[in-house]
Amino acid sequence: MFLYAFRRLLLAIPVILGVTFAVMLTIELIPGDPVTLMLGEYATKESVAHVRQALGLDKPLPVRYVQYLSNLARGDLGRSIREGRPVSQELADVWPETVKLTTAALVIAVVFGVLAGVISAVWPNSFFDGVVRLLSLFGLSMPVFWTGLTLIILFSLWLQWLPVGGTGSLRHLILPAITLSLPSLAMVARMTRSSVLEVLREDYIRTARAKGVREQIVVLKHGLRNACIPIVTLLGLQVGQLLGGAVLTETVFAWPGMGRLIVRAIFARDYILLQGAILVFALAFVVINLIVDLSYAAFDPRVSRQ
Amino acid sequence: MRRREGILAIAVVALILFGIGWATEGAAGEKRGGTLTIVRPTDPVSLDSNLETTAPGGWVYYNIIEPLLEMDEQGRLQPKLASSWQVMSATKIRFKLRPNVKFHDGTPFNAQAVKFTIDRAFNEKPPARWASLAGPFTGAEVVDDLTVDITMKDPYGPALRSLAMVYVGIVSPTAVKKFGQDYGRNPVGTGPFKFVEWKTNTSITLERNNDYWGDKTPLDKVVFKVIPEEGARMIALRTGDADMVLLPSPAELPTLKKDPKFTVHEVVGGRIVFVGMNVPKAPLDDIRVRQALLHSVNVEAILANILEGAAVRPRGYLAPSVFGFKDMGLERLYAHDKDKALALFKQAGWTPGPDGVLQKGGQKMTLSWLASRGRYLKDAELTEAVQAQLKEVGVDARVQFLEWGAVFSQLRSATLDHHLFTLGWVTTNSDADYSLHALFHSKLPPPAGWNTNRYANPRVDALVEEARKSQDQAARARMYAEAQDILAKEPVWIPIYNTKEIMVTGSYVKGFVPHPVEYNLDLKRVWLDR
Repeated sequence: MFLYAFRRLLLAIPVILGVTFAVMLTIELIPGDPVTLMLGEYATKESVAHVRQALGLDKPLPVRYVQYLSNLARGDLGRSIREGRPVSQELADVWPETVKLTTAALVIAVVFGVLAGVISAVWPNSFFDGVVRLLSLFGLSMPVFWTGLTLIILFSLWLQWLPVGGTGSLRHLILPAITLSLPSLAMVARMTRSSVLEVLREDYIRTARAKGVREQIVVLKHGLRNACIPIVTLLGLQVGQLLGGAVLTETVFAWPGMGRLIVRAIFARDYILLQGAILVFALAFVVINLIVDLSYAAFDPRVSRQ
Repeated sequence: MRRREGILAIAVVALILFGIGWATEGAAGEKRGGTLTIVRPTDPVSLDSNLETTAPGGWVYYNIIEPLLEMDEQGRLQPKLASSWQVMSATKIRFKLRPNVKFHDGTPFNAQAVKFTIDRAFNEKPPARWASLAGPFTGAEVVDDLTVDITMKDPYGPALRSLAMVYVGIVSPTAVKKFGQDYGRNPVGTGPFKFVEWKTNTSITLERNNDYWGDKTPLDKVVFKVIPEEGARMIALRTGDADMVLLPSPAELPTLKKDPKFTVHEVVGGRIVFVGMNVPKAPLDDIRVRQALLHSVNVEAILANILEGAAVRPRGYLAPSVFGFKDMGLERLYAHDKDKALALFKQAGWTPGPDGVLQKGGQKMTLSWLASRGRYLKDAELTEAVQAQLKEVGVDARVQFLEWGAVFSQLRSATLDHHLFTLGWVTTNSDADYSLHALFHSKLPPPAGWNTNRYANPRVDALVEEARKSQDQAARARMYAEAQDILAKEPVWIPIYNTKEIMVTGSYVKGFVPHPVEYNLDLKRVWLDR
């Protein structure tokens, strides 16, 4: 299993190469150039040329790409074009905040989603099931900035229980985490419901009940464990969504995370900062995918024997 | 007898002491202390004025660094770190510096520090990002500890106004040498506030400079916070999480103005947002067509319904706070008049076709238009509104909305394929030369300059060149007035609005006066009445 994990992690290398090249090429192809955007209205041709030369941006694309890779091999992510700060420092500022928000949102989505889904599956077509299905439709359809602002008005303005935005304490995390988790929560609930419902129809469930096993054990040990695989697959995909799609939540709640950093970098055509950020995401995906795949072995003993 | 005299004497002394105490407190009832929390949409890139020239930076470092002189709210030049100045020749100005001033890190302020700042801005490679807009400055010469000469390559009329920009704030040479590339994260100046810390994209904290050479500010601290979402900013103000909002939501202003818990501060600002015309591109090369387009636009309707009072009607191509400003009388010259527009089109040979679109010799009047969304307040909305108004007179305007980076690169390239473009312009040094020269001189189309209109008039060229060199400010004003008269008759812009600098505070925030220059956010007289 460790060999398997190690081989999978090696896959990260071609991913890094592919991703960095794609980002550099895309920024190169779209109109707009980081130096003129940075210097703005006041720039003379000389100052633009100076800055470009100072930053090494006057060299052709392949040269810059190779330079970037050789720096990367030494662990140097470069300095952002716009601010001149080391990219590693910029990322170090925002990555923990993104992890906090994503983890909190994921925990909420998993706990409440699975709970709601299981209850729905055990009492299908009940009042509770109806409410859950309605709310999940709501959670999937309402745009993040609407739910976010509504929650702020409710909890910050009217009730004055929670702060308006920013970061710093657990209280600051509650509203953005809930807002971000809603679409995932809805999907997890629906997926859990259908997966558990299907599993509960299986023969071995009938056998377990016939044996006299307590209903709780039937549902949780036999039912849920077998229903987990599609849920875990969904969660793996959802983490991707949460990481990348947090930008709207971050904007509404003034949460200083990766989403806003990436948008800023794109608008400024700051490809060095962008590559660093996308690299971190790509590596995170590789690791998450690996964890998801490894977890199949935990849920389904047949898998680990392969 | 003696006892009564004694009591009288004590009473008099007590009264005198009370009077002194009351007078030295400053404005009646002014309270000292407290933290002012300000929320705005973005963080700056750097607090080094050489690297960051936009408002998010200026708002903060305006309170940390100080230039030699500055423009007050009425547009007059006032001494700041220089106590006086003298024009020695067409290319040299001598400044006498204020004595006994120290930087926040204890370094003494003197002529060497001024020379260091000026050389760093103009003579390093690369120079400061604002160096080319400031003018042809060559550097500074130390005459003695408190006297410094600033020199220029060519005679330059706007020199003093350029040096009054916040960008030319004097920095501590010790700090720059100590921090090097990271100076932008640790600015050190002579201002009423000093820098404490910066949590990227979250907050910047400043505290009172207790060794300031002028009146010490009442506030203990100022915290600048980032809240990108406009709705969330306004909620923060209402919950008390913020004391002041920069770039508030225009739709909420009427309600806030009526609410005694809040104060709306506004002043006419320096930016004009307009629809520019690519003059040589047919059919705009016919002056009657351009004049007709101006008559077709109903600026008042846009101001009332789209800007909702957040901006005012431009009185010309320059803002009123700019030196050399002349009221071009555009609302008289080009009143919204569809019949007049159609008459002018007809004179130029354009008549409405069967489908309502103007046509001439079988060709329809289709104009292409480049605009961005969200770069300027309501830029996309006003573009769509003007497009609809033009349609009413038979002009088919096709708008291409692109992201600002893409719009910017097209506007800066040597050819412009569009007839119209939506753009904003601010006269950064508040001197007419900055705008009239760069925008309308025939030798300065992009990428060399900003004459995106490709306008060419030899008389205007001569006027702006002469006014740029002249040291006689009265003569300069006359030349700019003539240039603006010519531009009024040969329109190249459809000016839509002149920004207002608007900030909203809790009504307990006192002593704040907004400045027409956007980034001159003066916090040193602010105090909190709570």
